Amino acid sequence: MDNYEAIQALHKSLPAFSPYVSASLLPPIALILLTSTFALAFYFSTLPKDTFPLRETVVASIASILGGFGVVVLFCSVGVNV
Amino acid sequence: MIRRWRTLPLLLVGALAPTFSLASLPFENTAIVRSIELGGSLVHVSTTYAVKALQPGQTTYQIMLSKAERAKTSWFDVKVKGQTVPLEVAELGEDESSIGHLLSVSLPKELAVNGTLNLVLETVQTHATHPYPERATQKEPQLLKYEADLFITSPYATLVQRTKVRSSSPNVVSYTTPHDVDSFVKDGSVTKSGATITYGPYYNIQMDAVFIAKYQQPISVHYNFDHAVLEVKTLRRTAEISHWGSNLNIEDDIYLRNAGPTLKGHFSRLEHQSQSYFRKFSSHILSDLTLHLPPGVTNAYYYDQNGNVSTSHLRKTPSVAKGSKASQYSVLELKPRYPVLGGWNYSYTIGFDTPLEDSVSYDANNGIYNIGIPVMTLIPGAVVDDAEVKIILPEGATNVEFISPFPELSSTMSTHITYLDTTGRPAVILAYKDLTDKHTGMIYVSYQVPFSAHLKKPLSVSAAFFSVFAFAFMARRVDLRLHKK
Repeated sequence: MDNYEAIQALHKSLPAFSPYVSASLLPPIALILLTSTFALAFYFSTLPKDTFPLRETVVASIASILGGFGVVVLFCSVGVNV
Repeated sequence: MIRRWRTLPLLLVGALAPTFSLASLPFENTAIVRSIELGGSLVHVSTTYAVKALQPGQTTYQIMLSKAERAKTSWFDVKVKGQTVPLEVAELGEDESSIGHLLSVSLPKELAVNGTLNLVLETVQTHATHPYPERATQKEPQLLKYEADLFITSPYATLVQRTKVRSSSPNVVSYTTPHDVDSFVKDGSVTKSGATITYGPYYNIQMDAVFIAKYQQPISVHYNFDHAVLEVKTLRRTAEISHWGSNLNIEDDIYLRNAGPTLKGHFSRLEHQSQSYFRKFSSHILSDLTLHLPPGVTNAYYYDQNGNVSTSHLRKTPSVAKGSKASQYSVLELKPRYPVLGGWNYSYTIGFDTPLEDSVSYDANNGIYNIGIPVMTLIPGAVVDDAEVKIILPEGATNVEFISPFPELSSTMSTHITYLDTTGRPAVILAYKDLTDKHTGMIYVSYQVPFSAHLKKPLSVSAAFFSVFAFAFMARRVDLRLHKK
């Protein structure tokens, strides 16, 4: 029981959790990330077909990263807290 | 040699002495008062022992509960009268003569000879009452019966004891009159005044097997109870922690039963409507429930097997900081889809979101998160037969440790898979039984989540996007034209 009380006191005294990104900022961030993903995907589709696909790879990587974060933030902003 | 041979019978007599002599017991109860508050599913019993030490250096006091009483008791605590800190109690199991179940209480400080102390044992009994008659029509009142033993058991001699049985309404149908207790009483053996029935006072009681066989008898009180007798047969609570969404979602799957007298005849909707019109409610029909949720609740939902139940109202209160005492709770008023009559069941699911800042603390030195999750949301007056609390931690949580406010039946760790999970989330599952209004503590779980685990989700979605781009990259270079020019 002492152990339980000690943990309870510890829980009360430690600082509260603070997320990396505040919850109220999530919907606009989702919008920005997903529109940039869409724009980059469109740009990807217009790129010429080179032998060394450096540009295509770079654009695809940036678009996927932005899209990945965008989808996670989108899920959180509509209430499916992943 | 001869002397040692003669001491053997003396030793045997000495070993038997505690069962013969009263004076060898270390304590004496100068008075015991037991107060039984009659309820529906829950009965609160408070027993005050006025203890006097007869031998020096006593550090523990033993309390005896009869076997039937111990089986019904699902929560107990012992305090010194007037103080708030509970004393340490150890369960010793059955005593040698097998007349009862012993609890050993550690006294706050050593009691000298003739030192006195008042100890208060509070217990909550579940499934201690039963409806009698077992079936009743919609209009008939709800009558319950409670049974207990007449004499309070104790391993020590008692100078005077009394039992007070208090009903919530003065409508007591009947109560048993004890027989064969003339050697212990000075005035009447039982008196009733208003809603309180007093058995006693009884003088000079010494509990042993002979006494129990001769004098101990059951008493029963048949009374009217004006509230619905609620029993939650199963409670499945799921608490999901999301660091990305900074949110704690708690969902309760409840199977509720009205454990009052089973409905006899049919349910008349007309009768029910006229009762609510004339404001003469039949008190044992459950037509609505009020739950107190933590402050800062958002996105509350309430549905059952048919779909969303719209007859509910949530009154929100603003969020308070973690650990601070809430001055106001959010109130959720639920109305089941149909009034729950005696013997009827209703199962539903409720859930709500609270901000994670209110429940989780973070120790930056070792990167440990601590979360406190309430075991259940109290449904006033209800007993929970079987509860299971599942706490779902973020993906990639490690070093999971947990502590429960009261002993759990079992605890397991499992993996739970939900949206956007790759390796699954660790989940702690705790099982309990017979929970009462005293079991509303918090379960504390501590875990660590490395930063890379937080990135697992976005990177897995990115990998999926990248695979689409890779497919597009290859598709652009494939010529599917039918005629080459």
